[in-house]
Order: sequence, then C-alpha cells, then structure tokens
Amino acid sequence: MCVGIALAWSELPTELIGRHGLERRVHERGGEREVRFYFRDRSPRLPIWRDGRLEIARWGNGRGDSRFLPRTGWTWLSTVQEGYWRELGPIAVDIPATIGLERGVWYRIRQGIRGILVPDERGHAVVYMICEPASHYYQVMTRSNRMPVLIEERI
Amino acid sequence: MLKAVGHLDADCFYVSAERVRDDFLRGKPVGVLGNQGACVIAKSYEMKAAGVGTGMPIWDALVRCPEGIYVKRDFRWYEVLSRQMLEVVQQWSPRVEYYSIDEFFFAAEPGPDGSFQRLAERIRGAILDRVGVPVTVGIARTRTLAKLISDMAKPFGALAILDRRAEEELLAERPVTEITGIAGRRAARLSPWGILTCLDLAQADRRLVRSLLTATGEALWWELNGEDVRPIQSRRPSHKALSRGGSFGEATHRPTVLYAWLVRNLERLIEELEYHAVAAGRLTVQVIYKDGRSGVGQATLPVPADRFDVLLDVVRPCLRRAWIPRALASHMHLIADNLTARRDTPADLFESPARRARAEAVAQLKREVNARHGRFVLRSAATLPLASIYRDTANEYDICDIRGKICF
Repeated sequence: MCVGIALAWSELPTELIGRHGLERRVHERGGEREVRFYFRDRSPRLPIWRDGRLEIARWGNGRGDSRFLPRTGWTWLSTVQEGYWRELGPIAVDIPATIGLERGVWYRIRQGIRGILVPDERGHAVVYMICEPASHYYQVMTRSNRMPVLIEERI
Repeated sequence: MLKAVGHLDADCFYVSAERVRDDFLRGKPVGVLGNQGACVIAKSYEMKAAGVGTGMPIWDALVRCPEGIYVKRDFRWYEVLSRQMLEVVQQWSPRVEYYSIDEFFFAAEPGPDGSFQRLAERIRGAILDRVGVPVTVGIARTRTLAKLISDMAKPFGALAILDRRAEEELLAERPVTEITGIAGRRAARLSPWGILTCLDLAQADRRLVRSLLTATGEALWWELNGEDVRPIQSRRPSHKALSRGGSFGEATHRPTVLYAWLVRNLERLIEELEYHAVAAGRLTVQVIYKDGRSGVGQATLPVPADRFDVLLDVVRPCLRRAWIPRALASHMHLIADNLTARRDTPADLFESPARRARAEAVAQLKREVNARHGRFVLRSAATLPLASIYRDTANEYDICDIRGKICF
C-alpha cells in the first residue's frame, strides 16, 4: 500500500497549485521543491491525468464523506478486473508521482500509479489507487503486503 | 619515461549510475537497495552525510535519513556503464586492470606534455563526458599509493603525486588502516611497534613488517616506498574458488526454504563452473544465522564434477551439517574449490554410463531451454518455495554475474 506520493513542483501548473491551495503541501528535498499528497492529510487529494489534463481529485473515502463509496483509498487490481466497480462507471486514470511513500520508505516511481476515478453521490470525483499483492522485493523493502500498480514498472 | 600507476574509482557508483538515467535523483539523498530490498548497498554523499552506511538495514537508514529516496538495484545497467568506463580508460592506457565494477588500475602514460596531473584530469573529464559518471583518479608510483591518493581526493578528484616528499606528507596524514589489506587485526599487530600511520609503516624495518604481516604486508611496504611489486593484471587470473550465495532478504528457519536456496545457489554455481570449464573438487555450505551463529558443512568429491545430480548429492548432507534447527538463517554461501579443468577430469568409474548419459542430456536440455527462453526458466522443482524470488527479474542478474573482475 502506498500512503503518500510526492510530485516535483515543476510538474504541476501554477494555476493548479493556486486553485487547490497546494502551497501548504510543499516540501523541500535536496534543494528542490516537491508537493506531497498524504492519505492521512486532513483533506486527502491526489493528482490525476484525465483526458490529457492534470487535475486534483479527492483521494478515496477514508473520512466517510460519501455514504456509499468504500471507506478506503485503495482498491485491489483483481476487484477492478472482476467488475466490482462497474455500476459506478469508473474511469481508469494515471496518478503522476515521482516518489511513493510506504511505512516511512520513500521509493522512486518513474511514471506514476494506476487509479480509478468514480463519482460520489454528489457527483464529486473520487480517486482510488489500484494495488496488487506486493512483490518479494517491495515486501522486504517496506514490510507491506500490498503495493501500488505502477505504470510500466514493477518494483 | 617515468612509470606510474593510476587508480580510478567511481564516486558512489550505483547512485551515480542511477542518476545517469534519472536526472530527478541529482542532489537528493539516494540509497540503492540490494539483498532483496533489505539493505543499503550504496548511498549518495547526501545520504552519507546523514549517517547512513553501506550495508545498513533500510530500517536503520530510515531513522538517520527519513528524506532519503530508495532505488532498487539494477546490475545489468551498472555493468553497461562499468564497461563503458573501462573502454574509456583503455583508450588512455595500454594496460588496464578491471579490479571491480567501479574501480580500475591502469598503467599511466602521460601525453606529449609529460604531465600525469593533466592525464588524471583528462581521464576524469572523458568519463564524465562520455559515460556521465563522476570518478576520482589518483596517479602515483605504485598501485597502493595511487589508491591512497584517489581515496584522499574523493569526490570528483584528480591528483598525481610522484615525488617522494609529497608522498611522505600524504602518508604521514593517513592512518595505516586506510591501506587496503590492513584492517583491525593487522593494525593491532602493528600498533605496539608504534606503527600508526602509513608513513610509520613505510619507514619501519622491512623484516619487522614481514614478521608481523607476512609476505602480503611486505609487498605493501615495498609499494609504500615506491617499488611497484603488484603488477597490473589486464586479464583475470584463473579462479581458485567459485561461490554463489548471499542474503535471503527475509530470514527463515524452514528447512524446505533453506533447501530451495541451496538448490538455487547450486544451479547458479554450476553455470559458473560451466562458464570457466572447471569441475569442483570440494564443496562447502555455510549458513549464517541471525543470532550470530554459523554452520558449515564441507565435502570432498571422489571425482571432481560439475553435474547437478552429482553435486546435489554432495551438498545435501553439507546443508544438514550446517543447519541449526529452529534458528533463523539469514545468509547462505556455497563455495566450490579444488577446481580442475573439465578436460582433465577423469570419469567416475563407479557410475553407470547410462546414468551419466541421461544426466548430461538433462543438463544440456536445461542449458538450451534457458538460453532460448531466459535464465532459470527451466530449473529444479526444489526451488518452488522461492517463486517470488524468481518472479522478480532483477534477481536474475547479480554483481557476481559480472565477469572478468579481479575483485568481487
């Protein structure tokens, strides 16, 4: 499971940063600014690529904002493939990320993570990160038994 | 013309190699993980400054450097860059020793201007331009001095020291433990004699050094005094022993998993025996346990062999001897020595020709299938408990699979 991601500041349009108040999520690492998105944030959000545009969407339903969406931020790849989400009309999205966070371990992500976007009862877009059983390497590295489905990459 | 020896050492090589293909990592604290993700095998200078050491478990590294970025090792990529660096150095020197994946020794020959300092700078610049890896180059009268100089000049240094006075200044500043080959126990033998710095060692009585550190120590003494007694080896000498093994990543006490690791290590060892066209005369299984204990099993073969069925029959009881029931094992090493050239290996007179022919046919089939479809595609079913290890293609290629290096 990936509980946070970071995206280089330079990858986010200034307009998007201003509109979603992302300045408070800015941190510096090695002299470069990056925007961090944590699931445990008071307002969990994730960047997504949708129809060729970078947007910011609510990350899951951990705070119970929706009464019918699952109260989590992740979904199994097998659940998606088995059609569990079909009734909600999910859209496959890419979550751009340069680094992922799991149990304190920041690990490099080359492109991003697979996700699905579904509407809640008010029509707000909610993104769930897709995960799969962790590889041996990921499990040893992070001590987690779930790992995100990365785009054209596997740790 | 003045003869000199150069030593080239890549600066935090695995991290630099990752940065060659990933600009994002530049300037950030980066750790490359090995051993199935359990330990930091290389760290950037930024991570080193935070107190992370090579070989440190990732959980300790996280405490010291919570902002560090961790990357999975990729030895195929590191080998590509290593061989590119080797090619560059070979263009500047007629004799180059491929000492390790990120370290070379070479016969230093200055250009028409006669300057060794400029030679060091040019090689450093050429590697950065053509490979993208920062390196440090030291040039001196001997390889031991050249290595001391490059260690001192890191990172991204280029330094040639060839006059005795400058050498003495350098040696006086360095503790004797900075010489490769002199670690704790040897330093402890020297210390009662007041030999604490490299210069103390260079100025000590040669016979005393030999009595304390044997012929190896005496060779270092000559080298520190400018006598080049350890020649550059542009071809790797024949192996005296071959080994395979390492960390399990996750410690285990399960006999089936230990046996699976034994078989995996054996199949990899056989690949190496076949590559070098040698047969093993003796096999050793060493198992290291998390509580600090270790177990060893060793057996000598009646006839040297490189066949899976024969060697498995030999190593199985070795593992039994090395096994400590219920203790968590973390590492295993399988070592073959008393190597004999395959062509000189006699046939086992007590083995039926039919059995031998069948085993060789299976081995041949295994080689052909794996050559066509990928390493380890066809392997012993005893390795099934390690399915997740085989699923990860990064485990197909390890540092020890990079051939031609003098050192591990």
